[in-house]
Amino acid sequence: MNLRFSLRIPILVLTGFLMAAEPLHAEYLKIQLRVYGLDCGLCARGVAASVERLDGVKTVDVNIKTGLLEIELAPGNTFKMARLRKVIRENGFRSMEATVTAIGAFNASAKFEVTGSGEAYDVAQGPDKDRAPVQLTFKIQ
Amino acid sequence: MFGPRVVYGVRPNLQLSFASPFHVTHGEHPTGRFTAMMPGVPEAEVLAGWRFYHATPGIGTRNEATLYFGGSATTQKLPRSDSPPLKREPAVYAALAAGRVARSYDIWAGVGYQRYGEWETGISDHQSNTLLSSLAVGWRPPFLNKGYPKPDLRLFWETTGEEVGLARLQRTPGGITPGHGHDAQSAVARPFLSTIIPPPFSGTSILRNSGGTAVFSGPSLLCTYKNFAFQGGILFSLFDQPNGYQPRENVRAALGFSYYILGRRK
Repeated sequence: MNLRFSLRIPILVLTGFLMAAEPLHAEYLKIQLRVYGLDCGLCARGVAASVERLDGVKTVDVNIKTGLLEIELAPGNTFKMARLRKVIRENGFRSMEATVTAIGAFNASAKFEVTGSGEAYDVAQGPDKDRAPVQLTFKIQ
Repeated sequence: MFGPRVVYGVRPNLQLSFASPFHVTHGEHPTGRFTAMMPGVPEAEVLAGWRFYHATPGIGTRNEATLYFGGSATTQKLPRSDSPPLKREPAVYAALAAGRVARSYDIWAGVGYQRYGEWETGISDHQSNTLLSSLAVGWRPPFLNKGYPKPDLRLFWETTGEEVGLARLQRTPGGITPGHGHDAQSAVARPFLSTIIPPPFSGTSILRNSGGTAVFSGPSLLCTYKNFAFQGGILFSLFDQPNGYQPRENVRAALGFSYYILGRRK
C-alpha cells in the first residue's frame, strides 16, 4: 500500500507539469474577413493558398465580387487574427472589418478574450459576471 | 519569335524576371522591344520590378505604380540585308508602369527606354536605342464577372508607340569590321553592300535602314484559371514610318502562357 501511494505522487506531479507546458488553444471557429484589392482569380487563389497554410484552418472560401474571405477553423486551433492580417498584407492586400465566431471569456478589463489566443476585443454583449467561457459572434475592425 | 520568361516574386513589392527570346526563323525583324517586358531582339534580360506605390481603396480595386530596371546581353546575332550583323553591346532598360485595376475595368499606362552601351575596345557598332510607351484599357463585361474559382476573363484594348533609333556600324575598306565576328557573315552581306552601301570606307556609318517610328493599336485578351494565365493579342499599325528601305509592319500578334507557383490548395 505504502509503495503504491509513494509512486502516485511523482506521477501526478509530472502529469500536471506537462499540462501546464502545453500551449492553450485559441478558439476561433469562423471568420468572415473583408479584403480590399482582390480583383482577379489569381489574387484569390494566392490569398486562399496562403491562408490555408495557417495552423487550424479547415476551409477557405474567397468571393472576389464581395471581397469576403470566409474561413472555418478546426476545434482546438492555435489561430491568431494578427497572423491572418499579416498574411493578407504580405500578399499585397488590405484586411478590413471581420465577423468572428469564437469561444472565449470576458477578462478583468471587460474585453472578450478568445481562449488561449491572447487576443481580446470590445464586444457589445458586455461582460459575463461568471466569466465563464461562451461562444460569441461579433464584429471587429 | 519565341520568348520564355520567368518571374519570381521576392517580396510583395519586389519581383525579378528573366526573359530570353530567340528567333526561330532568320531574316529581318523589328529591332525595338517585343513587349514592355521582353526584348525585341535575341537577348537574355534580367529585370527587377519595384512596386513603389500600392493602394487598395476598395473591394476589388487597386492602384499601383511599378518601376522596372534591368540589363540585357545578346544571345544570337541578327542578320541584316544591308550590312554584316552588328556586334551588339549589353543594354540597360528602365520603365515605369502605373495603373488602376477594378473588377469591371483596368487602365494602365507605361513608358520605357532601352539604351545600348558603348564598346570600349575600339568597336563603334551601336544598336538602336528604343523609347516606347503604352496605354491599355481593360474591360470585364458583366457576363464574364463570374467570380473565383471560375475562369477569369477580361478584354483589353492596347495602344503602343515606339521610337527606335538609328544603328551604327564600324567599317573598314571592303566593308568588313575586324575583330568581332563580322568576317564570317561578310560574304553573305557583300552583294547587298555593293548595291546599297556607298563605296567601302573606313570609319563609322549610320545604318539608314534601321529604326523608325510606329504606333500600333488593337485588342487583347487575358484569361486566368487556377494557376494558369493565357494571354493573346493582335495589334494593327496606325502609323509606321520605318527609316530607309525597311519593310513596313502591318500587324503584330503575340500569344502567351503563364504558370504561377502559388502553393497548393487543400
